[in-house]
Amino acid sequence: MRRWSTGSMIAVALAAAALATLAAVISLSITRSAGRGSPPATRTADGKPNFSGIWQANNEAHWDLQAHEARPGAVTQPGVYPYAYAQVPAAPVLALGAAGGVPASLGVVEGDGQIPYTPEAAAIKKENAEHWIDRDPELKCYLPGIPRAMYMPYPFQIVQNTNKINIAYAFTSTARTIHLDKVDPPPDDTYMGHSVGRWEGDTLVVDVTNFNGKNWFDRAGNFHSDALHLVERFTLITPDAIHYEVTIEDPKVFTRPWKISMPLYRRLEPKMELLEYRCIEFVEEFLYGNLRKQQLVKRWEGDTIIVDVTRKVPAGDKLYEWYRR
Amino acid sequence: MKRRFLEVLGVAAVIVALVVLLKLRQSPVTGQTPAAATPARAELTAGPALRTPWNEPDLQGLWTYDVEVPLQRPSRFGNREFFTPEEQAQLDQERTRILGQSDRRYSSGSEQDVGGAYNQAIYTTHKPTGRRTSLIVDPPDGRIPPLTPEAQKKRAEIRAFQLALLQATDVCKQKLEGCSGGTYGPPSPRRSEIPPHYLTVGAAGGPTGGGGVINRSDNPEDRNLGERCMAAVLPDFGGNTGFMLQIVQSPGTVSIFYDTGQGQGWQRIIPMTTNPHLPSHVRQWWGNSRGHWEGNTLVVDVTNFSAKTYFQGSQENLHLIERWTRLDANTIEYAVTIEDPTTWTRPWTVKQEYKKQNDSANRIYKEPRCHEGNFGMTALLAGARAQERAFAQGRGPDPATICTAGCGGFALGFADTGEDSNPLTR
Repeated sequence: MRRWSTGSMIAVALAAAALATLAAVISLSITRSAGRGSPPATRTADGKPNFSGIWQANNEAHWDLQAHEARPGAVTQPGVYPYAYAQVPAAPVLALGAAGGVPASLGVVEGDGQIPYTPEAAAIKKENAEHWIDRDPELKCYLPGIPRAMYMPYPFQIVQNTNKINIAYAFTSTARTIHLDKVDPPPDDTYMGHSVGRWEGDTLVVDVTNFNGKNWFDRAGNFHSDALHLVERFTLITPDAIHYEVTIEDPKVFTRPWKISMPLYRRLEPKMELLEYRCIEFVEEFLYGNLRKQQLVKRWEGDTIIVDVTRKVPAGDKLYEWYRR
Repeated sequence: MKRRFLEVLGVAAVIVALVVLLKLRQSPVTGQTPAAATPARAELTAGPALRTPWNEPDLQGLWTYDVEVPLQRPSRFGNREFFTPEEQAQLDQERTRILGQSDRRYSSGSEQDVGGAYNQAIYTTHKPTGRRTSLIVDPPDGRIPPLTPEAQKKRAEIRAFQLALLQATDVCKQKLEGCSGGTYGPPSPRRSEIPPHYLTVGAAGGPTGGGGVINRSDNPEDRNLGERCMAAVLPDFGGNTGFMLQIVQSPGTVSIFYDTGQGQGWQRIIPMTTNPHLPSHVRQWWGNSRGHWEGNTLVVDVTNFSAKTYFQGSQENLHLIERWTRLDANTIEYAVTIEDPTTWTRPWTVKQEYKKQNDSANRIYKEPRCHEGNFGMTALLAGARAQERAFAQGRGPDPATICTAGCGGFALGFADTGEDSNPLTR
């Protein structure tokens, strides 16, 4: 009993995994048939495709719009070997282990998968990636902008009426309104853009302008300027999935328009609702910790956090004791 | 060097002023004209129904309030619900006179004047006084009900801590309103203590505010929610800086964007559902809303507030029952019953009327970007550290003797007391 063979451990683990999968499948099918009353109407009262509901992208675009292989961390450093492909996570994410890694992706950029930066902009993108922790506005809990808010790993809710469509985002409780009716231009440039929509058949087409140029597209340093102009297209492909595509134009940063596309999925949990992610509070130490009277972070160099990662396995940790025998 | 220090202090001062302003938001507010409301209600049953294409009551549009009514009735009006037209005119006249004065400040260059320039420059006009003598319609005296003994104790503990941190400053030396209840003395050892309660008030404390503005900037948590860009609370009555609500509906959902607190806005979603509230250990800053229709009225039950929320002293036990009714094409009546048996000895009810705004005007900024531009927090903390360094090097006064917050004085353009104070809150 005390000395299980590795083989039997694996067998037990596999059996447990299989059972868990089975249970998940069963509960999902119960949910679908019994938990949900009627499926959502695919048309609104005025005959338009109905996008109302809670949605979420289910991809890796929030890490990097472009195709990429998995990497050990959003920031890395050379390991034992000085090869670019043999990096280890850099200190700020090292302590997170496998949860700090970046999953691989086929990318969401259409065509050749390239983002057509001007040479100067390409250099800025590269620097952005190297200084991700210092520069990415998401880490500071800033308003995420469009299109980034559409594929961040948080749900959002579309509230659709005839003249206005409101989109509420869980991330920092922000929102945008898509105006289908007449509206004056906004009084100032914005983080979330000025969205004016129209119907082309069953596709909702949204023109987004008036950006302030402070947002990024992802955690890989892809960025734009205040000249950004988006044309979004929302098309219902099933009652529970939207085909979402965006044409991106920004003559200050890109040499030609380019396009991303992805499905957005309905959150089918029967009791699904939007919960708060009020991250301003979460980032105060990140933003202002160097100005505390009693420092929580052990070492600051100017306003840069120097993280000394020490990982101490607590005495009596059962897994480690088993592992060490 | 000295100049940079002063600049930092100046920025901090503006922040303090903003904070004071945000905290006071909860007192004077909007108004309603009940005389107009009664015929409007009749019109609703008689006239064309204001309903959505799927036949629910239609609350959509941009809304705000256009008259000012204090949250609590000034006690000199007793149980009287409405001002006479003469009283309204006289109150407007008095407020115009006070806000038109050019000397609504403590002496220039004094610590007490940190917010003076800001307040004097910003608060030069006011909304017309409404007919109602208070937003509170129940209890009949228009006042927030008495606090429970436990809430009084908590408030007293916070006030004692505020006073300890003020006691070595000129505010106490000169016996100014900010030091009310305290005395002048040497720097208190409590300056290095953790506050007796987590301080999440959105606005100034003061002798009766019960809030958490303390004269210290050791860390972001010492500052109030306004300075931390998280002052938006439920219920929200707008306050002196006003608000704009955008309501959009779909079947099963009412969404409300609160453009409030000068860039501290937020998006609210009210699911129309019979589902029970969230599990009791899941708490949110703005609670958990559950809506249903009762005739033409949207009724919303809000619970599951976080211990970090702060509404007039109520935190995790706050319970709201809101009633939103479209009285006519241009009017929504908002009524909210507020209860928390751990804070007040009885529930109380507030009513406010919202007027429809031009939908195409794009008056709503939808951009709660206070946080994105919060250089004030950096300035407050950096200023405090600079003061400490200067003192340690013998170049400046003991920081314990300097008042940077909770000092009192001319918030929103009015004096704390006397004939230049706000006649609607006096």
